[in-house]
Amino acid sequence: MKLQDVDVAVIGGGPAGIAAAIKARETGAQNVVILERAEKMGGLLYQCIHNGFGLFYFNEDLTGPEYAHRFVEKAMDTGVKGLPETMVTGISPERQITAVSKGEGYLSFRPASIVLAMGCREKSRGALGIPGTRPAGIFTAGTAQRFVNVEGFIPGKRIVILGSGDIGMIMARRLTLEGAEVAAVVEMLPYIGGLIRNEVQCLHDFDIPLLLEHTITRIHGEQRIEAVTVARVDDSKRPIAGTERRIECDTLLLSAGLIPENELSLMAGVELDAATGGPTVDETRQTSISGIFAGGNVVHVHDLVDNVSWESELAGESAARSAMGGKGAQGKIKLKAGRNIRYIVPQTISGQNKVTLYMRVNDMEEGVRLKIGNIMSKGLRVVKPSEMLKVELAPEQLEKLKEGTSEIIVDCERRERK
Amino acid sequence: MSELKTEVLIIGGGVLGTAVARELSRYKVDATLIEKEVDFGWGSTKANMCIVCQGADHQEFSKEYHPSPLVWQSMPLMEPMCQELEAPFNRVGELALFFNNSGKEKYEKMMARAESRGITTHQLLDRDSLRRLEPNITREATGALYDPGIAVTDPVRLTIALAENARQNGVNVITGTEVQDIKASAGGFEVKTSQGNISCEFVVNAAGMAVDKVAALVNADDFVVFPIRGYVAILDKKVSDLVSHEVHASPEAPGESNIITPTVYGNLFIGTPMKLARRGDDATNREMAEVALRNARRLIPDISEKDIINSFAGFLMFRNWELGWHECIVNTSSTVPRFVNVSIGFPGVSAAPATAREVVKLLSREGLKLRENPGFNPYRKAITDFTNLTDEEKRKLIASDSRYGHVVCRCETVTEGEIVEAIKQGAATLDGVKFRTRAGMGRCQSGFCSSRVTGILARELGIPEEEITKKGGESRQLLYKSKELIGGRE
Repeated sequence: MKLQDVDVAVIGGGPAGIAAAIKARETGAQNVVILERAEKMGGLLYQCIHNGFGLFYFNEDLTGPEYAHRFVEKAMDTGVKGLPETMVTGISPERQITAVSKGEGYLSFRPASIVLAMGCREKSRGALGIPGTRPAGIFTAGTAQRFVNVEGFIPGKRIVILGSGDIGMIMARRLTLEGAEVAAVVEMLPYIGGLIRNEVQCLHDFDIPLLLEHTITRIHGEQRIEAVTVARVDDSKRPIAGTERRIECDTLLLSAGLIPENELSLMAGVELDAATGGPTVDETRQTSISGIFAGGNVVHVHDLVDNVSWESELAGESAARSAMGGKGAQGKIKLKAGRNIRYIVPQTISGQNKVTLYMRVNDMEEGVRLKIGNIMSKGLRVVKPSEMLKVELAPEQLEKLKEGTSEIIVDCERRERK
Repeated sequence: MSELKTEVLIIGGGVLGTAVARELSRYKVDATLIEKEVDFGWGSTKANMCIVCQGADHQEFSKEYHPSPLVWQSMPLMEPMCQELEAPFNRVGELALFFNNSGKEKYEKMMARAESRGITTHQLLDRDSLRRLEPNITREATGALYDPGIAVTDPVRLTIALAENARQNGVNVITGTEVQDIKASAGGFEVKTSQGNISCEFVVNAAGMAVDKVAALVNADDFVVFPIRGYVAILDKKVSDLVSHEVHASPEAPGESNIITPTVYGNLFIGTPMKLARRGDDATNREMAEVALRNARRLIPDISEKDIINSFAGFLMFRNWELGWHECIVNTSSTVPRFVNVSIGFPGVSAAPATAREVVKLLSREGLKLRENPGFNPYRKAITDFTNLTDEEKRKLIASDSRYGHVVCRCETVTEGEIVEAIKQGAATLDGVKFRTRAGMGRCQSGFCSSRVTGILARELGIPEEEITKKGGESRQLLYKSKELIGGRE
């Protein structure tokens, strides 16, 4: 395959990119290429050696590498071309891609369509603004996961984890199994940041202390980290004076948020949604720029890889149709976040086709009713920012839309007590 | 090194010590530089706003000391020096904002002072011209004093370049060596270090944060300095368009300043007021961060907390606000002959070139023989900067060495080829690689590349990965091997 003939170029060979590429091939695109910066395809799934992947997509309980492997195999079978160790350095609004590659040298080409699948990155100590000294021994949870599961090293033996994101909780268990002691998982919110199943299986089952409504106010140590000061926070998340205490540790892991990686999207001129940090997309996952699509954590941070795969398949299918001259979604109805809704993806729908909406709330609430304009309403026992809401709108529900509707407001209302 | 004899011993491998070393290498002098850290420029040199200022518009409060001219004398020397050494230098210009008439009058005086010292390029801008130059600036500013001469550099890269060039020209440059004691003897000095004894005839004390402590070892501390600390936050490159000049507002009280500056790499820096601090306490705190953000937003309202990718605290050894902003110490000790103390407060890096010349003059006055070194070569080659190559250059380079096609740090687009060059140049730690190549300095702050850089360092240095440190000493990154804690084997 010559790069000049590429129909669909997928940026990123993680779960999102591979799923998009396979679907693009299956939809009929001839030449589909994945540009991946790491040594091999599969993305961060290869360091996620725990299970819990594929429960929905495959109806099976798989490890990260197993889940990735199924997609990588399928990509090879369907004739997707993968270029590993290839870093995209630029995308123009006209879809001109420039990249550098260990194997292929300097590349510049213009595919018929592009799928953005760059995933997300973890918030660093600097982005979190944790005060104190700057010693060694501070890692994001994902970096530590790579060191432990791929490189074969244990960062330290007394660990504090800031944030209760899924990778942090998984690493709490992983490091405990490796013989380290996890002194505390420190979470600013009154509830955990990740999935309930990880709180139970990774923290409770291993008696790991969880400090809710606490934060780290200082890092100690000149060369290697020696301790952290933790303090309780008030309702506005500010540390409460007098509640500080010191916890000795030789390692600090950070699992306090993920940021979609959209620097290339910005270069291409793609419009971003401030709430998701990712591109605004329509129901086909086309971005604000025609011929550029996006799927997976680059659009919004998912809890489950199964949803990443599904969403990216949609992006891959649409990119293939676009490459083959098809028309995208017609008409744009805006979905607007109302009460206690942080974001909705996609940001616009056509109103013509069946569509799945992914949403997150701002705050935890019990006994609520989710209302999608006047076309759908659904009672929910509890909603949490850490658990994505997923709602399918069927054609018969969409038929309730009035002619000329330009906006649908989504609310998460408090239910009246009976 | 157990015993070493040298003519001139320079203590401190910051920008001043290395600049003196390089200046001395123009002559046939047997000089040795020792630095306590494992790399150059990791003290005060590292932690500042990276601005090259000129100071000619500032008031000189004291007449008995005249080191301030070293600042504006350095200005014309800095750019050619950076060119010779292939160190970054970018003349961004400075805008000092005023908000009312009294502010304007103050700046008119500054402009007149600069003119009296031969700097005639300052201009007073009204509100409209200011907004044309910087559309994102606060609408409250009624105008600004514009100094087109102000520049930015990368002080650590400059210091590494100075050290390398000094070494090329014959100076013995040694890292990881800390001074423990100094005794004056008839012929000079006996200096005890962590790595052995050095006897020398002259000492240049450029020990930065420890300048007074080193001087006190031999009772040459005929000066008073105290540490002041400031805070700097680094903004993501994606907001580099917010401002293109160094912008500040006149301090309303001593030690208060609001400042935003572009860097040579495109990130913006925002800085806080500097305050008296306990020496060596370079910890940041929540208050500093809040003040920095609040002050920065007074200048550029669009700056957001979300754009901060990292922050640090920086130190200066400072004399006295009453003596003047740019007051510094460059003189032979009045009590100990042949012992030269060098300490520059605020202008720091900016004053390095003229200060180095001044130190050499002082040494000569103390009896050092200066015969020209005919082999002196002022040029030094920087390592490859892949990002700034043309497409054609990139193509050729990757074709000749595929390691340049392997991007290791994705945020800053740093290739394996550059990292290997940095290690060959002397980087032996993660921070050493970072300061030479920017690998790990981007928005993810080394989350993705640290495991790769650790691997490359281990491979190139021929040591196990768990011995790789962040910054030398006890700063190992990986303390154990897999299964080591549970008594198993891999």
